[in-house]
Amino acid sequence: MEIIKAQNLVKIYQDNGVPVKALQNINVTIDKGEYVVIAGPSGSGKTTLLNLLGALDKPTEGKVYFEGEDITVKEKSELSKIRLHKLGFIFQAYNLIPVLTAIENIEFSMMLLGIPDKERKEKALSLMDELGIKELANKRPNEMSGGQQQRVAVARAIVNKPSLVLADEPTANLDSVTAGHLLDLMEQMNLDKNITFIFSSHDKQVIDRAKRLIILKDGRIENQ
Amino acid sequence: MLLKLAWRNLWRNKRRSLITLAAVVFAAVMAIAMRGIQLGTYELNIRSIVELFSGYLQIQNKNYLDNPSLTKSFIIDKNILDALASTKGIVSYAPRIYADGLISFKDNSRGAAIFGIEPDKENKVTTFVQNINSGRLFDSDSSNDIVVGDQLLKNLEANVGDEIVLLAQGYDGALGNQKYKIVGTVKLGLQELESAIIFMGLKSAQSLLAMGNRVNVIAIRADNLSHLEEIDNSLAKKIKDSDIKVLVWNKVNPELEQAIQLDNVSGIFFLGILIVIVAFGILNTVLMSVIERFREFGVVLAIGMPQINLTYLVYIETMLITIIGLFIGNILGIVVNYYLIIHPIVFGGELKKLYEIYHFLPQLKSTLQPSIFYNVSLSILIISLLSCIYPAYKVYKLEPLKGIRHT
Repeated sequence: MEIIKAQNLVKIYQDNGVPVKALQNINVTIDKGEYVVIAGPSGSGKTTLLNLLGALDKPTEGKVYFEGEDITVKEKSELSKIRLHKLGFIFQAYNLIPVLTAIENIEFSMMLLGIPDKERKEKALSLMDELGIKELANKRPNEMSGGQQQRVAVARAIVNKPSLVLADEPTANLDSVTAGHLLDLMEQMNLDKNITFIFSSHDKQVIDRAKRLIILKDGRIENQ
Repeated sequence: MLLKLAWRNLWRNKRRSLITLAAVVFAAVMAIAMRGIQLGTYELNIRSIVELFSGYLQIQNKNYLDNPSLTKSFIIDKNILDALASTKGIVSYAPRIYADGLISFKDNSRGAAIFGIEPDKENKVTTFVQNINSGRLFDSDSSNDIVVGDQLLKNLEANVGDEIVLLAQGYDGALGNQKYKIVGTVKLGLQELESAIIFMGLKSAQSLLAMGNRVNVIAIRADNLSHLEEIDNSLAKKIKDSDIKVLVWNKVNPELEQAIQLDNVSGIFFLGILIVIVAFGILNTVLMSVIERFREFGVVLAIGMPQINLTYLVYIETMLITIIGLFIGNILGIVVNYYLIIHPIVFGGELKKLYEIYHFLPQLKSTLQPSIFYNVSLSILIISLLSCIYPAYKVYKLEPLKGIRHT
C-alpha cells in the first residue's frame, strides 16, 4: 500500500540570484512498511528530497502525495498537523531540546497532541524501556553521548506511532559500533511496528542494510 | 509543559536573564519611587494648602462658587449639624462669611475681602489663624477687633491698634458701616490676598452684613484625603436642602488642582520615557534569545508544534521574567517609599524659604498609595507584552527548514 508518492518533483534554489536545480523530475513511490535509503554523494539532493517528502519544504514543481493527499497545496497549519500526527523526524545532529530531559523530549510531541501527563509518562517510559534507554530518563542532552541522544531522538520520532519516519543522515555523527546499534534498533521498529523508514545517507552501513535503495546523482534518480 | 519549557529556557543564559530581570526591577523601583515622591508630595502640599484656608471640603449654596454673593447663603440648621456630626471622617468644621467691602483709615481707602470666622472652630479646621504676623487674633467672634493682611496694613498706612471703618453692602442690600480696631496682621504668602484680606468674628460680620444667622460656607477638616469622596457622598445624601451642596477642595481651589495636574503630566512623561527605555532592553534580550534558538524552534516546528504555541512560549518567557521582576521591584518599591515617608527629603536654604512663602512644606515625601504599585506594574507588564510583538512575529513567521538550517 502506497504511503508517499513524489510526482515530477523539481526543486530550484536561488543562490545569490542564480537558480540551482537541486532536484529534477523525481518520481518515486514508497509503500507502507518499507525501509528505504536514499543515497548519493554530497549535493546530490538527498536532504532536499527528504525535506519535500517530510512536508518541511515545498517543491518548485510537482506533487507529493502522502496517504493519497497532495501535501504541496496544504496550508502551514495543516502541514504542521500532518507532521505531528503522521511523521517522525530524526536529524543528523539529534536536535533534542536542550532544557528538557530525555523523557521530557520524548513526551514533547505527545504533549502537543494533548495526551494527559500520566499517560505521556507511561508511554515514554515504556518506549525507553523497549529501546534500552530507560536509565537516561532524567538526563539532559548535554549529559548524554551522541549515540544516547540519537536513541532518544528515535524514541521521540516514533512515540506517536507515525506512519513514516524520515531520518536525515542519522549516523553521520556516530561511531560505527553506535551507528550499528542504532540501525538495529530502527530495523527492529520497522519489523515490529511496521513503521516506514526513509533514510538519507551516504554511510555504507546504512546503505548496506537498505531493503530498497534509491540513488540520487545531481538531483536526479539514478537508480531505484 | 510550555510553562516548564519557558522557565528552563529563562535559565539557559543566566546572565542575560538576570540583566533583563535587573532592568525590570530597576524600572519598577524607579517608577514606584518617582510616583511615590510625586504623589506623596502632592498629598503633602494639598494638605498644607487646604489646611491653610479652604478646608478639605466645603458646604455652600449650590450657586455660590460660580457667582459668590451674600444672598447665596444659608442657615446652619439641625439637619446640617446632624449630617456633620454623623459623618465618619469629619474631624471638625468651621462656618464662615465672605463679603466684599471698603476699609478706610484716615484718607486711605481700600477694597477689602471680609472673612467672618469663629476663631476656636477655625483653629481646628485650618492653620491661617496661626499665621499672625504681628499683634494677636481677636478673642471672640463678636468683638470689634479685626486682623488684616500685612500688605493691607501697609497700604492703609495704619498700625496695629488703629481704628478703621469698614463699609459693606449687607444681605438686605443696605450699606452697613462700623468701626473696628486692628489687633493684628496676617501673612499668607499671597500678595494679592494680603493686600485685601480682613478677618473678623463671625457674629461681627453677620451684624455688619445684616446676615442674621446665615453663613456662606462651612469649611470641613477630614481625617484623610483619601476619604473625601466618601464624606462628600455621605453628606450629600444626608443634607436635605437641595440648594446646598458639598464641594471637595479641588472644586473650591481648581488652580491648585490644575497646577498638580500639569506637574503630574510631566511626571508621567518622564515615567513613560523610563519605561520605554526598559522596553527596548526587553526587546533586545528577547530578540537575541529568540534568534539564537531558531534552530531549536525549527526542530520543534518540524516535529509539529503549531507556530502559535511557539509564539506563546516567547510570551510566557517574557511574562515570567517580567512578573518576577515586578514582584521584586514592588517589594523594593515599598521599602524605598516607606523609608521616604519616615525620612522625607527636607530642603534647606533658599529653596526652603521659597516653599514656605507659598505654604508648601519644604520637603519631598513619599506615599504607599496602592494605585502607584498596580499602575506601575500594569504599565511595565503591558510594555513588556508590546516589546515581545516583534520577536514573537519573527517566531510566528519562521519556517521549520529555515530554523533547522539556522546557524
